[in-house]
Amino acid sequence: MKKILSRYLPLCTLALGLIAVGACSKKEEAPAASAAAKQSLYVVGVESAYAPFSAENEKKEVVGFDIDVMKAIAAKTGIEVKFIPTPFEGFFNFLAQGDRDLLISAITITDERKQTVDFSTPYFEASQLIAVPQSNTSVKQFSDLKTLKIGVQSATTGDEVVQNLVGKNNPSIKRFDSTPLALKELEGGGVDAVVADDAVVKNYITNNPSASFRVVSDAGFPKEYYGIAVRKGNTELLNKINRGLADIKADGSFTKINEKYFGNAK
Amino acid sequence: MDFRWSIIQGYAPLFVKGFFMTLQVAVISIIIGTILGLFLGMLRLAEVKQGPWKWPFRVVKGLAGFYVAFFRGTPLFVQILLIHFAVMPVLIHQDNGLLISGELARTIKQDYGAFISGIVALSLNAGAYISEIFRAGIQSIDRGQTYAASSLGMGYKATMRYVVLPQAFRRMLPPLGNEAITLLKDSSLVSAIGLAELAYAARTVAGAYSRYWEPYITISVVYFAMTMCLATLVGRLEKKYAAPHHR
Repeated sequence: MKKILSRYLPLCTLALGLIAVGACSKKEEAPAASAAAKQSLYVVGVESAYAPFSAENEKKEVVGFDIDVMKAIAAKTGIEVKFIPTPFEGFFNFLAQGDRDLLISAITITDERKQTVDFSTPYFEASQLIAVPQSNTSVKQFSDLKTLKIGVQSATTGDEVVQNLVGKNNPSIKRFDSTPLALKELEGGGVDAVVADDAVVKNYITNNPSASFRVVSDAGFPKEYYGIAVRKGNTELLNKINRGLADIKADGSFTKINEKYFGNAK
Repeated sequence: MDFRWSIIQGYAPLFVKGFFMTLQVAVISIIIGTILGLFLGMLRLAEVKQGPWKWPFRVVKGLAGFYVAFFRGTPLFVQILLIHFAVMPVLIHQDNGLLISGELARTIKQDYGAFISGIVALSLNAGAYISEIFRAGIQSIDRGQTYAASSLGMGYKATMRYVVLPQAFRRMLPPLGNEAITLLKDSSLVSAIGLAELAYAARTVAGAYSRYWEPYITISVVYFAMTMCLATLVGRLEKKYAAPHHR
């Protein structure tokens, strides 16, 4: 046995090495080939822990408002899309490095972000919402959070507005990987309040009635608009998306998706 | 490539505080983990051959074995999330905590929640690995040493304390140092539960500016310096306790 092993070991190593090299070179070829074949399949990055906008279901498919909107746009413009769950931290980097062609995930259009990516026309209006435990009756507006421990999802608009309120190095900000985790921490009593996108907070409350949260909205929060992000300068794709978005808004399918997720309120 | 170090400067206090937090978490976890590991390692080797304690002891041993298997067999990241979001709320909760409840629970959770969960998770994890290091170290000492000790009239305790452990300790030092370094690095995982340590500071900056070189290079350098110091320390200890002919 030993003899056989020692005889074939170099061969095995060589074979393994060849496989490794083959695998690497294949990877390098792929983007070039698809670019040459006049790209029709676009890779869409979505953060998959952001229900009701985007989440993964039991079958590991991404579902949600954003997904339906994107699919409707794709169907209208005749492009193919493939959704890839992507962590929200470093979201825009995936775009810049070419790993993703499009990003949709309740992305608020901000001036800072416009410096690194291009946004489609807005498709959703949102604002921040404060969640506090039912027992807390003192919080009536955003500025009441100044002396409290506040949970946010790192790198989101919530993180930003809270940093503006209490200072960016303030230890009373606690950042989590996702908004549901921050809300879970609120449930456990680890923070006094959570600031996050309204629809996500409401969705958590719907799914966790035992959490007994009270929500506070503050007129001071600026209105936000969600947009679909593309690589800076990719005007061709951006135009396609904008045209598709206008089309689904015109033919009523956008309204249908809206009603499916948010009822008739919006 | 343009490095914008100014973005780190804005968050400098977060990094400094994060550094001390990492240091604290790592040192405390290493100490607790070592004590836990020593205790568990000895427990898993000890035997009660007769008497009324025979069966209860076997049960305890079985539990210890399961504990080691569990903490070695699941990812540390999962353990951290599990302890912080599932176990801690049951034990410490303002409404109905099993251990602590009421206003005290609220204060503890808000000011030290992630800190405690992080230390508990890291210590338990390190304890499992260290118990194996202790077990291996003790088992590596020749049986003859134990026989010689008992022929001199030494009991189990004395044999362990004066004959086996001193010799085993020398062999355990390198893997112990290894474990300490691993633990120091793995403490970065605790940022997932919102503990403001070094990796958390880097994550915050990366999130705010979508820039990755500056924050992550900064903390890499800091972690590297820390592990180097630790390695030097372990190296010195190893020299001090080296076998005579290796000096």
